Amino acid sequence: MQNILSVEKIEKYYGNKGNITKAIDNISFRVSKGEFLGIMGPSGSGKTTLLNCISTIDNVTTGKIIINNKDITVLKAKALEEFRRDELGFIFQDFNLLDTLSAYENIALALTIQKRDVKEIDHLIKNVAKKLEITEILNKFPFQLSGGQKQRVACARALVTDPSLILADEPTGALDSKSARLLLDSFEKLNKEYQSTILMVTHDSFTASYANRILFIKDGRIFNEIIRGNDTRKEFFNKIIEVVTLLGGDVGNVL
Amino acid sequence: MYSKIAINNVKMSFRDYAIYFLTLTLAVCIFYSFNSIESQNAILELNKNATFMLTLNKLIAGTSIFVSFVLGGLIIYANKFLIKKRKKELGIYMTLGMSKGKISIILLFETFLIGTVSLVAGILLGIIGSQGLSILVANILSVDMDKYKFVISSSAVIKSILYFGIIFLLVMIFNQFTISKYKLIDMLNAAKKNEEVKLKNAFVSVLLFMLSMVLLTIAYTRILKTGLNADNTELLVTITIGFIGTLLFFFSLSNFFVHIVQKSKRIYLKDINIFIIRQINNKINTNFLSMTLICLMLFVTITLLFAAFDLKGTIDRNSAGNRDYDASAFLIVDNKNENTMVNDIEEYLNAINFKFSTNEKHAFYSEYKLNITIEDLLSKYLSMQEQIHLEQNYLGGKISAITISDYNSIIKLNGYDPIELKKNEVLVVSNYSRVNSALPDYMKNENIINIENKAYTIKNQAPIEENIKVTGGNEFFYLVIPDNFSGDLQLEFTSFNVIYDDNNYENSEEKFSNLFNNLFEDKYRDINPALVIGSTKNQIQDKDNGFAALIVFLGLFLGLIFIISSAAIMALQQLSDASDSLERYKSLKKIGVTEKLINKAILRQSLIYFLLPLGLAVIHSIVGISAVNNIFTFHYQSIIVSSSLLLIIYGAYFYATYAGVKNIINNSN
Repeated sequence: MQNILSVEKIEKYYGNKGNITKAIDNISFRVSKGEFLGIMGPSGSGKTTLLNCISTIDNVTTGKIIINNKDITVLKAKALEEFRRDELGFIFQDFNLLDTLSAYENIALALTIQKRDVKEIDHLIKNVAKKLEITEILNKFPFQLSGGQKQRVACARALVTDPSLILADEPTGALDSKSARLLLDSFEKLNKEYQSTILMVTHDSFTASYANRILFIKDGRIFNEIIRGNDTRKEFFNKIIEVVTLLGGDVGNVL
Repeated sequence: MYSKIAINNVKMSFRDYAIYFLTLTLAVCIFYSFNSIESQNAILELNKNATFMLTLNKLIAGTSIFVSFVLGGLIIYANKFLIKKRKKELGIYMTLGMSKGKISIILLFETFLIGTVSLVAGILLGIIGSQGLSILVANILSVDMDKYKFVISSSAVIKSILYFGIIFLLVMIFNQFTISKYKLIDMLNAAKKNEEVKLKNAFVSVLLFMLSMVLLTIAYTRILKTGLNADNTELLVTITIGFIGTLLFFFSLSNFFVHIVQKSKRIYLKDINIFIIRQINNKINTNFLSMTLICLMLFVTITLLFAAFDLKGTIDRNSAGNRDYDASAFLIVDNKNENTMVNDIEEYLNAINFKFSTNEKHAFYSEYKLNITIEDLLSKYLSMQEQIHLEQNYLGGKISAITISDYNSIIKLNGYDPIELKKNEVLVVSNYSRVNSALPDYMKNENIINIENKAYTIKNQAPIEENIKVTGGNEFFYLVIPDNFSGDLQLEFTSFNVIYDDNNYENSEEKFSNLFNNLFEDKYRDINPALVIGSTKNQIQDKDNGFAALIVFLGLFLGLIFIISSAAIMALQQLSDASDSLERYKSLKKIGVTEKLINKAILRQSLIYFLLPLGLAVIHSIVGISAVNNIFTFHYQSIIVSSSLLLIIYGAYFYATYAGVKNIINNSN
């Protein structure tokens, strides 16, 4: 399988001499094309820092991050902006939809900033809308949409540019359980039917149970790794709960 | 403790306060400069003319009160914006247990602090600015600058402090009122509230836009057709139509615009145009009322500045041929009265015992009316507008005439050689050609004038542009006729012109100006009831210059205040909007929009926002100015001066806004 993302021995320090906090302490892992990777960990474990480093929003202290054969740790600011625009798709906890634009326009924006040809834009949006079943709501404004619909529009925006890697940061964090389930079903469908590569950060075990593989992080290190294999989601969920219990903390988030 | 919080607040949010502070300082500066004018040397020179000073002082006092109302409104508005921006901060104070009264005290300190600093800065700046103004006024009044002195007007300082003190006091009271009205929950959630787009329906917006266009067209045609000559109700109707048209224009424009742009995918789907268009749509739709107000304010400003600068030019230009003698006077002949005592100015002067001294070269002459009107003469070459104009300038009616021997005697005063005129020839003396081309066209195409069915050849190729007397009037038209003219002549004035001797200039000037002042006050009525009017060249010059100075002065005063007020409102709206849209810009950055694109978006938004009201105001002004064009004729000079003034101030505010918005958005993370 082709490697989309390789993280090699990265470290991230905060603070100065004598008072160093290691937010990430020697983490390495790989994500192949078409994989759905979950990253779990209690708050303060470094998972958001890790995501920020991968998404080029933050930079690492040492180590390499290679996405689609490009080492992003050596890219210049301008190249980084372009890389972020062309290779990555983002899904945020708080959607980050522009409230002044309609759903259609929100999705179109991702394409127009890539300076795509005007003729293909409409076609691409219609396609992605069909995949995520949001065709009917394309002309609505965010304030007219439910949380779940908003997140699916955000999802469409991340997908429409056909990025190498989709980064999702607590995508279900702001959703009720029904909407969360619908969204995760869409994720699963995207991953299975369209071979999208997804990297999802979450501390919710139910959300994590949709992934193929889960990395557990604690105190900036990889603490455990479990693979779903041929397990049903229920079996996989139980395994996750076991690890979470082992990890300690965050018990409140188990349910 | 509270003053400490207040001082820190002002320091911390200096960026937010910058435009507010700038506007206050500028306003104080302008206010001081114009109020200090009465102590400026250039004006003191004119002090000799007591009535002029009185008018000037009254006008400045009146305008100052009006201006302080405008500024008071502006400052309260600006202050409301600043409080709105800080709702959350104030809300946090309240959750910490601070009472509303104490928050009010903090705000009181802040207003006081900003007010004091800007008042001091404004007055200091005004002291410098007023010197420049003084030079400008001296220039208009043609006063020499030898006596120029650096002046600080204490009365203007006191007046500025008093007026602005009252304004700030009102602001403080207003703040108390605003704070007491707020609910804590609204304050904490202030950032989350969104503007509501009032007009969504595409069809309605297109319809309204069309309606606004129609209304504006009607207003324009009405004003262009009748000019300002229409009676008051007609004019009021035109202004109302124009106002409603402007209002609807801004109300529907953005929505209409969005629908148009959406049709063109090439523009719509380029870069982040989608975002820019929606942002602007939101803003204009919420602020259409203030946009309309600003547009109209700019329109008044532009027209005012043009008119003010132009009047000066018009007066200078018109005076050119009207200043060939040092003094002249004329007696209005009463043709029903046979007594030469009351109809001849020479006898009149004898009666009141006025004598010319030997070094005062003078000539007596008579002015007649011919049995032909200018309209008859030039009708083929005049448009409707020009005919109306003719009547308004007292040029209509019967043509004035003077005999060649009288004419020769008065031009002899200036040392010109006498002109010979055959008995079927006439001379044209007029500056009417400067107003329009009717007279030159006539003289080019037909060189004959028919008076009572008798043809007279015009002797001169082009009209003589020197008037036969000293007058404050603008245009004149005389025919010089042969002495043995056989047609109907009606005596209208008997007059005299004087040229003083250079060595005795001051004495003669005083003598004649005294005579004319006495005549004006009707002091000789008991001796001789005839009506005699006269003026010296200096009297007319002072009057004209004073008038021009007054208009330029007030035009500048109001114009400057209007520009800074409208620009400040725009700037504040943009800045507060930038903080409201901060989340949107953050989202844009997160989905990978480059900083360059974001800056471009900010620039475009600010530019469109600033240019829209200005654009419509300029179109309004062009139409408005063409309408008053028959009162003033415009010069390039005035266009350059007033537009550069407008552009510099407006441009400065635009740049400050752009930089401010960019700063808010780029420093957000």
